[in-house]
Amino acid sequence: MNTSIVEVVNVAREVSWLPWAVQYFFLIGLSVGCFLLTLPWFVLRRPAWERASRLALLGALACGLTAPVALLADLHQPARFLNFYLHPNLGSWMAWGAFFIPLYLGGLALYAWLVLRPDLKRLADIGGRGAGIYRAFAYGGHDSLGATRIAAVLALAGAALVALYTGMEVMVVSARPLWDTPFLPVQFFITAVAGAIGLVLVLDRAIGDGRAAEGTHLLRLLAATQVLVLAVGAAWLLLGVTGLSPRHAEALAQVAPSAAWRITAVWAAGSALATLWLAVRHPEWRLAAGLIALHSAWMMRWTIFIGGQQIPKTSAGFYDYHLPLGQDGLLGIVGTAGLWIAVLILLISVLPWAGQRRAQA
Amino acid sequence: MSDDTLFQSRRAFLQALPAITAGVALPMNTASAAEGKHHWAMLVDVRKCIGCQACTVSCIMENAVPENSFRTIVSTYTVTQEVDGKTVAGTYVLPRLCNHCDNPPCVPVCPVNATFKRDDGIVVVDGYRCVGCAYCVQACPYDARFINHDTGKADKCTFCAHRVDAGLLPACVETCVGGARIFGDLNDPKGELRRRLDAAKEADAIKVLKPESGARPNVFYIGLDPRFQGRVEGQGALWRPSEHGA
Repeated sequence: MNTSIVEVVNVAREVSWLPWAVQYFFLIGLSVGCFLLTLPWFVLRRPAWERASRLALLGALACGLTAPVALLADLHQPARFLNFYLHPNLGSWMAWGAFFIPLYLGGLALYAWLVLRPDLKRLADIGGRGAGIYRAFAYGGHDSLGATRIAAVLALAGAALVALYTGMEVMVVSARPLWDTPFLPVQFFITAVAGAIGLVLVLDRAIGDGRAAEGTHLLRLLAATQVLVLAVGAAWLLLGVTGLSPRHAEALAQVAPSAAWRITAVWAAGSALATLWLAVRHPEWRLAAGLIALHSAWMMRWTIFIGGQQIPKTSAGFYDYHLPLGQDGLLGIVGTAGLWIAVLILLISVLPWAGQRRAQA
Repeated sequence: MSDDTLFQSRRAFLQALPAITAGVALPMNTASAAEGKHHWAMLVDVRKCIGCQACTVSCIMENAVPENSFRTIVSTYTVTQEVDGKTVAGTYVLPRLCNHCDNPPCVPVCPVNATFKRDDGIVVVDGYRCVGCAYCVQACPYDARFINHDTGKADKCTFCAHRVDAGLLPACVETCVGGARIFGDLNDPKGELRRRLDAAKEADAIKVLKPESGARPNVFYIGLDPRFQGRVEGQGALWRPSEHGA
């Protein structure tokens, strides 16, 4: 018996996690990824990593300071965040986020201060306007590896918890089969690290001397993330196609009929392959590899959040989504990007991020 | 004691009126909050629904639901199928609303405990506490929640709790032209809801939406076509309100 069903009247639920959420997950992921890239120089003291780690520290701070703004904007009334602390439901992953974010950002700020103290002192010793302020912030300018390591552990714990909660928060939404997969937190994390490497490569070209990847295996690491991205994607697809996991099969069945989703999947896989190829075969095109990795990290989150919410839970077909031009859409994306650039410029202007090279300049 | 004795004058009657009103309301509130006393639920007899959307409109009017948002709606479908070699087309209607689940997925995810299940089974949102994070909107397996554009907070059907607490029926039930919506107390063995459920259960006619979700909904259906029990496989709506009012 052939049946055809056409929905005539129904409600369309709007996207309720707005592009602000995409921006938050993108930026906080980049911040966590960048923080991890600071460790080889500032904690492990691998000289080859100095350039990359210093750029990564800038990225971690700029993204980390911007991300919560996007999150607050998604609450429609930013002061509502107080309720997260006044009435926390500790059974909710989102509630834990309200504690993990300050832990991570507090740890990151402490870590950044400790690792930059010697450079702040050098800047103060050079003299000029602001020398007094730099001297005060340098607080003696000691290079204490022990204290740095303690702060790094604190920030690392915060980073791990942020990575965990952002993934779990989405993964536990069983009402959306596309989100309800243990691969999601893994994919969030891998793409965040890849995006962070991409950001370091872009910053290296924009404000560095273009040598951040030298001797660091940065490109090899980027290639490894892309292999993992493809492997996780293939595993998800395999579970869905074979029906080994009914949940994954259900998710695949929801999106497979859509041409837009098929194009998106091909685009994502193609981007990963292109990044991999550039990272392995054409290190001289590392800027392109970095830009594609950044784009992939953002696009993955956009597809998961905005695309995922276009899949009705009970209705037929898909909900339409047209990016609004206002604060709930394009203006929010551009505004967050603008804030990120402003914070970055501010950090570059006031911090001795480049170490001795900057202090001598 | 006759009414004449109680209200000897108009002045006395008017003086007594607030006390009478409070006296009627207080026991209802107390009763609805008492654990196990009531367990409100709804039975939708799809066979009796004519798709007039009177419930949709009355809900909007009763609850001041913003333009193009809906706490309840009658989903309407055109179904074309071959029966005995002939192509037959018909209309299928399905009233949808919050299912006031016994295991509501929207409750545990709320980061601030703003959404909760009352002792009488009604799932509500504390508008003062809600931060509008929309986590509950994502978690609801029925797409029954939305962000109210007037308040920026989570919104949903409350079974018209304010009316139920005052001893009234939900607005959608009150206005249902075909008598398709039956509201009542699952704990009341003599109530119409319980009797209708028991009678239909014997014929194995009771269904719920998405039983596999584990949410254990309290909106039950008679005449629910299995093709509409989960996500509907078909062509998307020809008309869907999506743009919210300015």
